[in-house]
Amino acid sequence: MRRGIRMKKGQITILIFLFVATFTLLLGAGKKDRADLYINATTPLKFEIPAGWPKPSSNIFASNPLTEEGFQLGRKLFYDGRLSKDGNFACASCHQQFAAFSTYDHDLSHGFHDQFTTRNALPLFNLAWKRLYHWDGGVNHIEVQALSPMTAPNEMAENVDSVLLKLRKDTSYVRMFREAYESPLINSQGMLKAIAQFVGSMVSANSKYDKVKRGEDSFNNAEAHGYELFKAHCANCHKEPLFTDESYRNNGLALNDYLKDYGRMRITGDPADSLKFIVPSLRNVSVTFPYMHDGRLYSLYKVVDHYRKGIVQSATLDSSLQKPFNITDVERDELVYFLHTLKDTSFLKNKRFSQP
Amino acid sequence: MINFKINKTLIVLITFLIFFISFNEAKIDTDEASIKIIFINTINNSRIVLNDSIYTNPFNEKYSISKLRYYISNVCLENASDTFKEHDSYHLIDESKEASQSFSFSVPEGRYNSLQFLIGVDSLHNVSGAQTDALDPANDMFWTWNSGYVMAKMEGNSPASKVVNNKYEFHIGGFSGQSSVLKEVVVNFPPATEVFKAKNTYTFIIDADINTWWQNPHDIKIADHPVITTPGINAKNISDNYANMFHIEKVITE
Repeated sequence: MRRGIRMKKGQITILIFLFVATFTLLLGAGKKDRADLYINATTPLKFEIPAGWPKPSSNIFASNPLTEEGFQLGRKLFYDGRLSKDGNFACASCHQQFAAFSTYDHDLSHGFHDQFTTRNALPLFNLAWKRLYHWDGGVNHIEVQALSPMTAPNEMAENVDSVLLKLRKDTSYVRMFREAYESPLINSQGMLKAIAQFVGSMVSANSKYDKVKRGEDSFNNAEAHGYELFKAHCANCHKEPLFTDESYRNNGLALNDYLKDYGRMRITGDPADSLKFIVPSLRNVSVTFPYMHDGRLYSLYKVVDHYRKGIVQSATLDSSLQKPFNITDVERDELVYFLHTLKDTSFLKNKRFSQP
Repeated sequence: MINFKINKTLIVLITFLIFFISFNEAKIDTDEASIKIIFINTINNSRIVLNDSIYTNPFNEKYSISKLRYYISNVCLENASDTFKEHDSYHLIDESKEASQSFSFSVPEGRYNSLQFLIGVDSLHNVSGAQTDALDPANDMFWTWNSGYVMAKMEGNSPASKVVNNKYEFHIGGFSGQSSVLKEVVVNFPPATEVFKAKNTYTFIIDADINTWWQNPHDIKIADHPVITTPGINAKNISDNYANMFHIEKVITE
């Protein structure tokens, strides 16, 4: 019996050795995919769709799995001035959280060498529900959006290779890229996908309006009447719950002779798209002033007044604006009260999106 | 009894070991032929020289070339019944980088009649977000304000150009609808090379005649069109012309 057990022990040692050998060989068979050798250490994140909202029109995370490590890498990149030529212009310099990631109180933003941008910085939230990006829809994927400001001579004025060289010299990026992608490679794809994870995660769905819809709050009389006016005059284009229908329309603004911005026509080359711009979401609109693609209107009262009496006729003017809004001054104010209920303080102060 | 049982387990394990070792060996395919494709950009049958050479187009306009790049993608070999497609088939041919001008892949042994490829990047990869390698936006072949790849790029100087520094600049792109510049090219193999034998290497020297860019079917004069850098009819016209630039110069079998 004693002898039997001893023998068994010896055999077991051989068995273990063989198991290990077999397992090692099994792994070796997959040499092409070295990634298999790493134990997956990323932390998957779930992208939550707010109750009652439509499904995102394109799944921006389909080929860019959302992880905590990718998100945090994107967050660091978003706030890092080294993405610009002189170090002064992070993404966050024109996209400020307290302004719903637009530029607070600026019609046009500032870029490299005291230059102006040519359009009002759009706020960033609910980007997962967009098909195209920018005022003219010229960018067709969230992952390639960051290339535009990064390389524009009047914005961040950098080039991709130069940014990557700076990142590779920083050991914290070396670590964070490795954690996010389980590979030592720091390339443009990893950088762009991480930024897309960060900005694509920004969801604003907790304004007073949302709370009223969920039965957690109620509108006062002015807001309630403003909401009725909104549904009658605005909701056709600023469609709930995202407050945009993602279409491109000419809303009757006169051409700025200096900027000469014809909007979507520049992208499609189609004269029917002249002077058309994306219908922007009205969520957080009270903190994204000034308004319109060139920031020409400084208050929401001015915006409503534009639709009451400022529409400029042109060949491509939207059919819904052929007749001006017929509302009183009091109704205008009520409409503005309602628009203030779209401010989502929990989003504007969400620490997840603040500077790391 | 115990010994017998363990020995049986040992036999099973050793069998597994042998199986995996042989499985690894089997991965090296022995019935494939190697294909190497080399692009040589020429004018008047001579390899072009960047910057320093002066060429003359069919309209007697003199020009130099400082930059010449184009995408070759979706490379396939075809026969009557089958198509063999190169895996991850995206190549940026850059006249200033010799290593970019050739690539290799292997195909199953057999008979193939033609080589097919796209000049440019297929429409799907123009809308798929951040890519790597040949499709890396750092290659300066991606439009950032109107997303999409520049499928072919040629720049230089010409006295016929009246824009700044007598520059001419063609950034040819557009991947959808009427403004698509994507061109499918079919190059038929010389009959003697149609059968590809295993373990052989077939090197195709493909001549790209850059003077085709100017004419047939559309006349492109530098004086009229020194700058074409947006999708549209002029870009489309140049792509119609350069679709004819390739022919097989020779095939080397080794």
